[in-house]
Amino acid sequence: MKKTFALTAFLLGAALAGPANNSLVVGTSQEPPNIYDPWSTNNLAITSEINGYMGAGLTYQDDNGETKADIATRVPTLGNGDYKVVKDSKGDVIRNSVTYTIRKDAKWSDGTPIKVADFQFWLKLENDDRVPVPDRDPWDRAKITVNDADTFTITFEPPYLFADQVSPGLAPSHVMSAAWNAFDAKTKNEKDAKVVNEEWKKFIASFTTARNLPKVVAGPFKPTAWRTGNSLTMTRNPVYWNQPKNPENYVQTVTYRFIPNTNTLKVNILSGQLDAVSAVGLTFDQGVDLSRNERSKYKTYFVPGAVWEHIDINARGQRAKDLDLDDPRMRQALLYAIDRDALTKALFQGKQAVSNSWIGPVSKLYKKDVNDYNLNVARAKQLFAALGWTPGSDGILQKAGKKLSLNFSTTAGNTTRERVQQILQAQWKAVGVQVNIQNYPASVIFGPDFLSKGESGKWDMAMYAWSNNPVFEEGNLWKSEGIPTAANGYSGQNNPGWNNAEYDKLYKQAKVEFNQADRIKLFDRMQAIWNAEVPALPLYFRVNVYTKVPGLVNYTFSAITQYPSWNAANIGWASRGAAEEYKQK
Amino acid sequence: MGTYALRRVIQMIPLLLVISLVIFGLTALQPGDPVDQLVFGNSNITPEDIARLRAAYGLDQPWITRYFFWLQQAVTGNFGYSQDFGIPALEYIFQNRLPNTLLLTVPALVISTLIAVPLGIFSAVRQYSVLDYLLTFFAFVAVSAPVFWVGALALYFFAIYLPQLTGGLLSLPPGGLGGDVPPEAGWLAVTLDKLKYLLLPLMILMLREIAVTMRFMRANMLETLTQDYVRTARAKGLADRRVLYKHALRNAVTPIVTIMGLSIPGLFGGAVITETVFSWPGMGKAILDALVTKDFNVVMVCLMMLALLTVVFQLLTDLAYALVDPRIRYS
Repeated sequence: MKKTFALTAFLLGAALAGPANNSLVVGTSQEPPNIYDPWSTNNLAITSEINGYMGAGLTYQDDNGETKADIATRVPTLGNGDYKVVKDSKGDVIRNSVTYTIRKDAKWSDGTPIKVADFQFWLKLENDDRVPVPDRDPWDRAKITVNDADTFTITFEPPYLFADQVSPGLAPSHVMSAAWNAFDAKTKNEKDAKVVNEEWKKFIASFTTARNLPKVVAGPFKPTAWRTGNSLTMTRNPVYWNQPKNPENYVQTVTYRFIPNTNTLKVNILSGQLDAVSAVGLTFDQGVDLSRNERSKYKTYFVPGAVWEHIDINARGQRAKDLDLDDPRMRQALLYAIDRDALTKALFQGKQAVSNSWIGPVSKLYKKDVNDYNLNVARAKQLFAALGWTPGSDGILQKAGKKLSLNFSTTAGNTTRERVQQILQAQWKAVGVQVNIQNYPASVIFGPDFLSKGESGKWDMAMYAWSNNPVFEEGNLWKSEGIPTAANGYSGQNNPGWNNAEYDKLYKQAKVEFNQADRIKLFDRMQAIWNAEVPALPLYFRVNVYTKVPGLVNYTFSAITQYPSWNAANIGWASRGAAEEYKQK
Repeated sequence: MGTYALRRVIQMIPLLLVISLVIFGLTALQPGDPVDQLVFGNSNITPEDIARLRAAYGLDQPWITRYFFWLQQAVTGNFGYSQDFGIPALEYIFQNRLPNTLLLTVPALVISTLIAVPLGIFSAVRQYSVLDYLLTFFAFVAVSAPVFWVGALALYFFAIYLPQLTGGLLSLPPGGLGGDVPPEAGWLAVTLDKLKYLLLPLMILMLREIAVTMRFMRANMLETLTQDYVRTARAKGLADRRVLYKHALRNAVTPIVTIMGLSIPGLFGGAVITETVFSWPGMGKAILDALVTKDFNVVMVCLMMLALLTVVFQLLTDLAYALVDPRIRYS
């Protein structure tokens, strides 16, 4: 029977998926290096998305940013006493803590109960120097105190602003401890970091790779097959506690198909081979194209995201001074001279809204009433003139024998950015600014010698994007300590080199302001200062494009959850009895 | 000849060492490294974190020091782990990528040669005939049309339009490696499933191979047919068929055999564009991806394998010359 089915499928070219066997086939353009690595030693988006199916946390956030309990019996709040803030005599918060109680029925996929020891084991490795986690913030200041068999308190000292919204990770200590102890014994006195790293890779690879699938997981799905370069399959974890009512009505198997070429991915959608597309897959243009050919076979969604496209203005070095790029008036003039509304309408059908702040509208900290810098050529010309720039015989602005000629760079091969660049180049030319496009591969732009080395005058304007979870916004992108210098190993993210004393002061205050209303006020002022000085020209917030076939429910995400896997247990087919809880906004 | 072969094998060692040094140096000197990906966009990362990560990955050392560490490990058979896949680089290539490439390229080479050689002969023998013009035109189009364009057209036709035209009766899947059918379904079902995914990339790859080999065969054959010994054979009154297959063909085919021998290393390198268009996880795509993501260990395994195959097949081709051409002696 099966053979006949396969033969028929060959002739029909049909995908063996969908409501018929209550499965889900998702297409994506990336393949993760490993999955369910509790210490997230890689930061690829697809890893986070796939981990969402297999992972569970004490708490999680839904599409609206509401914190909900998963492994924990309840969400810690000041009201229920599980979240505590300790202040000194001056009223400054010196420590904060959250207490969690683990549900009695919370179990690993092999049936072993989840224990406090699993969180302790995770934290111990997170802070071990031999484990190559990208950064340890805020876990390097966290301590776990065991209250009883199922309850523990995690204390942050210095305090952590989002302690009540982020829960520590967990790792199956009953499965991994022995291997960790062997690693520990082998590398305790090893001085060569590369040798330690090789041993670490052996350790982590034995639990997280295609060759060694994770042995136990905590989330709603568990991995069953991973064929490198092709697909990864996960099946419903029957011992997962947070199941919807009648879990058999919901998706039982999820298969991720890795299709690195996004055009091939698009053909897969058009030919009906995929039930849905991952948040990591299609480009905006492909989404627009797909939306024109839906024919009720699938629907295309454009989800407002937290990825902010902007143009950094390099205010560092002598060249920047000569071009007045270190003067806010020059940056304002450059912004007034371009028509961002027309640009987003022409290129993105208005689906990607113009931004005037680095904080997105989805964040509670977003300030609506900042200057919107609508196209105002007269104002731009006035500002250029105030700085002493006057049109030369060729129409290009000049000052002291120098032309206002700026080098504009972005990631070569990104067609959307290259189109934006050409439109902006023409708009600036109309006001007398000569813009020379000099694009480089992403590896050069984001490499160690470009953006961060602004003082050497390698670029004047650079277009790229930042991504930040709107819930955890700290404003640290613009702190003056973040200006990359030789002294800090070029590690900061403030590539324009913007330095504002008042912003710095407010940022430091906001960092320890635990009252949300007061924090919003501080961010209002920070955004007002930033908007007045525009160290970077804000363009728009990107939307995430994906498709799904009709009848697939609860496959949604937002700028907060970022991936549809946040709600993995509830994804299902309406025709199989799955109840729709969340609609895509 | 034995001494010659032994001398060539010994010469390969320093040559491969130099190649490995050049590849390692060029790879290490390109901008960016694996830590950049972890650093960029992470506003919480500190200079200490960066220093710790660079030390952990050994990137704080000069590239030449790293090369000697790599060499020291490599001679013991340890080529390190793939940064992108978390498994040993050697295993990743030999178990996950090479079989897919061979599955695609070996049939492409064999079938296209079997088709192209007779077509080339036919085209040469019937020079300036209608069929010769048609075949030459086909070869011209197939060689000139970019693979990514023909591939995209084929994808749209076989995966979207053909099912629409036939009401869903006929179609081919748009890329990937198969796997709709579990192994329990039996070998026939699994093979058919694989074949279904293989057909499109195979067709596209063969199209170009047929065109190239056919043109080469046609040119060789035409050249051979004008040789004195062919004229002499004809003058002696030998039948056309005998002159063609007994005298001309054997000489015209010899260079094809040599070229095929030299193209085998390239075969292992895979067909990058075809693999990319059809998302076929082969070697060519692996090399490209590893270079982009700075997966140094995978880059080294792939390129060293290609270098080794090139020198080995170069030697075998040289030896084969002596076997097929009595005028060549290596003594």
